[in-house]
Amino acid sequence: MERFILSACVAVHIALCGVSVLTAQEAPTYDDNALRLDGRLGDVRIVRGAEGTVVGKISSFRGIDVAKLVSSSEKATIEAKKFEHDYGPGTWLASLGIATLGVWIGVTRIGDVNHSITTGLLFVGAGSLVYGAGRMQSAYNALSRSIWWYNRDLK
Amino acid sequence: MKTILFRALFLGATVSAATAGAQTIGHAAPPVASSESGTSVASARAATPNDSSRSYDAQALRVESRWGSIDIIRGVNGPVVGTVGWFRKFDVEKLVESSPQATTAAHEFKSNNFRGSLIGGLGATTLVAGAILTSNSSSNAASPMLMVVGAGAMLWGGQLLNKGYSALSRSMWWYNRDLARNTIAPSSAGNPSTPRDRAVPAEPKPPVTR
Repeated sequence: MERFILSACVAVHIALCGVSVLTAQEAPTYDDNALRLDGRLGDVRIVRGAEGTVVGKISSFRGIDVAKLVSSSEKATIEAKKFEHDYGPGTWLASLGIATLGVWIGVTRIGDVNHSITTGLLFVGAGSLVYGAGRMQSAYNALSRSIWWYNRDLK
Repeated sequence: MKTILFRALFLGATVSAATAGAQTIGHAAPPVASSESGTSVASARAATPNDSSRSYDAQALRVESRWGSIDIIRGVNGPVVGTVGWFRKFDVEKLVESSPQATTAAHEFKSNNFRGSLIGGLGATTLVAGAILTSNSSSNAASPMLMVVGAGAMLWGGQLLNKGYSALSRSMWWYNRDLARNTIAPSSAGNPSTPRDRAVPAEPKPPVTR
């Protein structure tokens, strides 16, 4: 009975220590897991590790769930949510601005159009474009900060 | 019974101590660059993961865009250490020279940024010239061609700038990665120096066991 208790204590202890060693070995490393951005014409890719495995693409009207990707880091998640908050509206407003400016160019080619219409189209188009670009810029800055925090918490 | 329990606890404590020692060895930071003085070896042994985090917080670089230019920022709320963009001449290579891979990527950025700025700028000028000629009701067939060529050059320039910024992102990534390996000395944790002030290893660094 006494030997059984002794053996049981040792076995449980070794088992528990074994788990902790395994956890330490499986901790994520910067080389394998750190994220960075890789720009392509038309989209931005989030790549992981030194090998540059693509884990997500952010194109004009669709993105990935960045908050989920960086969920292991609290501050990275907060910044990722800022990115998601700004990116969608920014893209749509910038696109609306470009489309409106296209209409403005078309309308100015037509001869008999009220001058106030063309001026209004120009201001609305340029305003939407600039505001949308500003939102997109804020979004990408938040994405950059999010990735920075995520990589920081890997260390 | 009490003797047996005491033996069990003692044995448990021994195994626990041995395991803790093994984990410490597994987490030991790699030797720091300069081994010319004995102090660096001693400081490397004293390093903890907190040193690495502190170093990253104070030294790691990131980028933030600002209407056509990109600010390189150091640390959590750190200063802007440089601004790059169209025709901006900030030496990123010098900033990240402590990391060989980062320097290579920074060189790629510099090359692509210059070519992209030049070609994109020429394309924009050509496009505007074509638009002005076309809006003046010029019947010259060359004016639409100017617009097409200008737009094409702008796209090509944009592609080069994009490649450049990807290289810049890669450069920051490598620089930040090598921070943890280069920065260990606890004496400098409170007043961190820039990585370029530190000695850099001439040989490839050993892999880190975390």
